Amino acid sequence: MKPVRVVADVSQLPDVTFGPRSTTWWGTIGFMVTEGLTLVICAFAYLYLRKNFYHYPPEGTPLPSLGVPLVQVLVMLISIVPMVYAGRYARRLDVDGTRAALLIALVIKLGILVLRWYEFPALNTRWNSDAYGSAAWIVMGFHTTLLILDVAEDAGFALILWTGHARAQTMSDVVDDVIYWYFTVAAWLPLFVLLFLYPRWT
Amino acid sequence: MSAAPLPDSAPLTPLSADPDAMAELERTWRSSHTGLWGWLTTTDNKRIAKRYIITAFMMFLLGGIDAAMMRLQLSRPENHILGPDLYNQFFSTHGTTMMFLFAVPMMTAMGLYFVPLMVGSREVAFPRLNAFGYYTYLIGCVFLYVEFLMNTGIDVGWFAYVPLAGPQFSAGKRADVWAQTVTFTEIAGIIAAIQIIVTAFKQRAPGMSLDRIPLFVWSMVVVSVMIIFAMPWVAVGSQFLAMDRAIDTHLFNPAEGGDAILWQHLFWFFGHPEVYIIFIPGLGMISSIVTTFARRQIFGYAAMVLSLVATGVLAFGLWVHHMFATPLPQLGESFFTAASVTIAIPSGVQIFCWIATMWTGRVRLATPMLFVLGFFIVFIIGGLTGVMVASVPFDLQVHDTYFVVAHFHYVLLGGAVFPLFGAFYYWFPKVTGRMLSETLGKWQFWLFLIGVNVTFFPMHILGLQGMTRRIYTYLAATGWGTLNLVASIGAIVIASSVIVFLVNVVASLRSGAIAGNNPWDSDTLEWATTSPPGPCSFPDIPVVTSRDGLWERRDDVPVMTGLRTDRREVLVTTLHEAEPESRHMLPSDSIWPLLLALAVGGAFIGAVYTPIGLVIGTIVALPIALGWAWPKAPTGPEMVDDVR
Repeated sequence: MKPVRVVADVSQLPDVTFGPRSTTWWGTIGFMVTEGLTLVICAFAYLYLRKNFYHYPPEGTPLPSLGVPLVQVLVMLISIVPMVYAGRYARRLDVDGTRAALLIALVIKLGILVLRWYEFPALNTRWNSDAYGSAAWIVMGFHTTLLILDVAEDAGFALILWTGHARAQTMSDVVDDVIYWYFTVAAWLPLFVLLFLYPRWT
Repeated sequence: MSAAPLPDSAPLTPLSADPDAMAELERTWRSSHTGLWGWLTTTDNKRIAKRYIITAFMMFLLGGIDAAMMRLQLSRPENHILGPDLYNQFFSTHGTTMMFLFAVPMMTAMGLYFVPLMVGSREVAFPRLNAFGYYTYLIGCVFLYVEFLMNTGIDVGWFAYVPLAGPQFSAGKRADVWAQTVTFTEIAGIIAAIQIIVTAFKQRAPGMSLDRIPLFVWSMVVVSVMIIFAMPWVAVGSQFLAMDRAIDTHLFNPAEGGDAILWQHLFWFFGHPEVYIIFIPGLGMISSIVTTFARRQIFGYAAMVLSLVATGVLAFGLWVHHMFATPLPQLGESFFTAASVTIAIPSGVQIFCWIATMWTGRVRLATPMLFVLGFFIVFIIGGLTGVMVASVPFDLQVHDTYFVVAHFHYVLLGGAVFPLFGAFYYWFPKVTGRMLSETLGKWQFWLFLIGVNVTFFPMHILGLQGMTRRIYTYLAATGWGTLNLVASIGAIVIASSVIVFLVNVVASLRSGAIAGNNPWDSDTLEWATTSPPGPCSFPDIPVVTSRDGLWERRDDVPVMTGLRTDRREVLVTTLHEAEPESRHMLPSDSIWPLLLALAVGGAFIGAVYTPIGLVIGTIVALPIALGWAWPKAPTGPEMVDDVR
């Protein structure tokens, strides 16, 4: 074997990084693409089945209601604000600030889950009524699984921070969690248009 | 580079020359527990990948036994060894096993073992997630075959077409078993894909810029991206199917506005890229083998990489050619014919590059190289019939006949299994430290080449004579008896080839020649470490200065030092130039991945029998996930205050 020769020393490099420099960020992006695609597939099914109906919603099914869903969109947009701060505090390694921002966000997100409970009936159809109802429920249902997972993740981070177990890497992970929430909200906006506005145009 | 360059006057000692540091490194990376607990909690990518490979090979054997039973049944007209119901279960289980439980997991497992080694990294990016992916896959394998033994074996084909697989025509749980088996393997596949991408993008050895990445790693990156974009389609589709069956949704029910063709789109938008997901890693393996055994760098590196990428992209434009027999607009069909023919171009570019490499190199015909030559013969025949069935009028004639069976077995055995056996012979010394027997290897190769052709070539003719797929028997008057008998004899030859391989493995593990670090004198970094690699793979981080890798003419090997020895650290580098960027601490061994896999497994298996199963499984999984994420106190990285 040839002898080895040391050409550089990496011991002074940082061991906690944020954003695209961190491997966790790349993993998060990978899962966002995968989960974003599942929503695209649900939306594809909803639009594909459109051709089997004269009207969407079908004859005899009322248009989806707009009240609760509009409030939901508004609350989701508001929920971004504490998450922006959570991300900023986390980058500064400010545990108290991050924890406070995450808790405020968590309360709002629990409200989002409650609203979602009333948003399903606002579709004014049932999953087992016909293919339109199935597709509409599935679009909303798949997005709801993302909401639940994100709220669970937030609660976990809040608990870790609350009990004083935060490490520098945890703060980097919080930043990725914030990005994931942006994605969850951003993904809902076109789906809201699809489920609640699109039937009004066609 | 942002790492501190060393002044000439003060050279540092490499870790490998410091016995104390090596001992600590060994302690840090070796499993903290021994025995069963150590076995269950390990997150070492090499140990996990070996389990993946062994499990996937066992699935290959089980799928092979399924096939052997089918060949036994079809060996003569009006045979009644298997009845129609059992025959349906055998062919469905065979296809599902080979596609979902053997081919894709085997290829990703080879990536999980070799991508970190080939890019000079100590571990995959997310070791715990890796263990979780494996256990999920394992649960899927066990689930499918336990159900098979309980007479709930799937009987709806590997594609589970509706309405046959829907609630109206498939009573019982067989179609549900298919839907959830698929879910397990999709979760495992997506996790493996993300691992491979992040490891190859962010953990390459310093200096391994994008244009110096070995072609096998490129092929695994392309495949991983394809997995991310293809697998969700069948994962979501199979959940749609499960919901139609369990909670009365109507997505595929035409009576309520649903659509059976929707299923075919969802399935084949995954199903066609799936074929390429299976054989693109084979192309990467061939590039590694050809480079080593032709003793020169691959001809046309850039063309090879671009061809891999082009194949990956075009693979998504072909799915409708599986649906030519459905009522689709003719213009659309023409587009898919064009795309199907176009994909032969990047495949052709690669084949010509390999030929040019061999032509201008000094070829050594060792067993891995023989399998590459076998690939050329078998895969090209499969490719030619592929161009034939890409044409709509021809496809309509042979649709659902044995011609198609012959075509895709030539493509898949040629494109994936030949390179895979070559890769086994090539990398076995690295994984085990011992060489496989060349004599037995040559026996295996010739038996396999003969067996494959004797089994599958007659099927072309049977198909043209009108023998349809998925029939459990046929009348003597059809005249198909002789060719079917020939095909069945071929299956015996294939089986004996696989037995020779198993004998070779067992004998070589006991008394094979000791391999040394680099027995084939190859160029890539996996050969720079010991055989088998230690728990930490690379005590010193290798530095790459050209595409020649280990073939570079120099007196010493440049390395970087400075990763800590008291915790598991990997070097993170920049995406394009692979300049050192940070040190990343990896988590320790853990039981949580196994527990989470059991919870998720319980959720999906429960969902077969009641929708509540999914809810209960999720509720159980959440605290386990929290346990997984909970930072460990004593060995963790710096607390926030330390960093500040």
